[in-house]
Formats: sequence, structure tokens, C-alpha cells
Amino acid sequence: MEVQVLFFGSITDITNVTETMVASCADTDTLISQLIQQYPTLSNKKYFIALNQKMIQTNSPLKSGDTVALMPPFSGG
Amino acid sequence: MSSKQAKSIFFSGPIPAQKIADDIQKHATKTNIGAHSIFLGQVRADMMHDKAVTAIEYTAYEDMVNEQMQTIRAAFFEKYALTCMHIYHSLGTVAVGEICLFVFTSSAHRRDAIDACNEMVETIKKALPIWGKEIFADSSTVWKKNNESW
Repeated sequence: MEVQVLFFGSITDITNVTETMVASCADTDTLISQLIQQYPTLSNKKYFIALNQKMIQTNSPLKSGDTVALMPPFSGG
Repeated sequence: MSSKQAKSIFFSGPIPAQKIADDIQKHATKTNIGAHSIFLGQVRADMMHDKAVTAIEYTAYEDMVNEQMQTIRAAFFEKYALTCMHIYHSLGTVAVGEICLFVFTSSAHRRDAIDACNEMVETIKKALPIWGKEIFADSSTVWKKNNESW
């Protein structure tokens, strides 16, 4: 099972990549803790989480093929 | 109705003044329109630690923005009596003095066009996953912050 993770804005300064694939993650909370292990400075960042292009506020189950995005505060316009 | 169809709002690089003029001209045939409202965002030479911004580089979660825009457009056409609404946001590098955002609303009477235009600009800045990176003359960069953000 694989989940695609997308990074945007200032988050990419931490990850140095704009996307990665993560294997076997039950839910978004588990995924975030895995990402923080890989990129410790993520824990100090504020970001929104989108699951399949929809913003989520709470822990959500993940299935293979899902896309999770970490999005810092928006600054368009 | 073709004016309500969803399409990408993204425009590669700065939005030329000629495009804005051409888009206004295109509406001459829509004779039920009595009012246009236009907002243009221009890249400002902000000063930070004695250095001036020379450009902003825009990136976005394009698929998510385009999906969100379908819902947002529908809500705007529901709320306001609009004839049409066109939105363009730059992606990539836009230099100081160039246009990075073009919101164009049209209606039979002015109030709908004006209010929809204002609300759309606020919505774009607050709700769409778009990011600006301010670039200085010495090539250093700072991620832009909007007032509404945390």
C-alpha cells in the first residue's frame, strides 16, 4: 500500500522534495509522525492537511493510492 | 452556459495589460451587461531589512485549486446575479510592477459585480492553496505572508 505525499511552499525548504511515496500508513496521524521522524523540523511548522484535495481537520484513514498534501498558510494574490 | 464552465485560473508568468484590454473588449457583444468590476493585483517592491523585493515566484496545488474553484464559482453565481466571472492568477515569476492577479466580474447592475469581485479577491487570498516566494536583488528569498494567515 502506498500513499503519495505532496509538499508545498515553505515545507519544501525542509523536505527538499515536492513529493514522496510512503508505504503502509493506517491513517494521517501515523503518516505525519513518520514524516516528522524523517524531517524533524516539520514538528515546528504550521500547515493544513489535504486528503485527496480536500482539507481535513481530524485524523483520517488512508488507503492505497490516496494523496496527502502538507500546505503551509496560503499567500496567493 | 459557457461563462460558468470550470477551467484553470492559472496563467504562466505576468498577466499582460493587453490581455486585460482584450478581455474587456470581448464583452462588448454581451449586451445584457451593465457593469464590470476588475481587480488587478500588482507585485509590490516591499522592503525587508533594507532590501527591496524584485519579484514573486508563485507555486500552487493546481489540481486542488481548480477543483475548489468549481465549488466557489457555483456559490458565487448562486449568491450574486453575475453574467460572467473570469479569474487569472499567475504561476512562476512575476517582477515588481507586473500584474499577478486579474479578477473580472460582470453583471447587469453594478452592485453584484463590485461585491462579487471584492469577495472573490478575499477568497483567493484566504482559501486557495497558492504560495508566493519573494525574491530580492541578491537572489535571497522569503516566503510571502498574507495578512489573513496565522
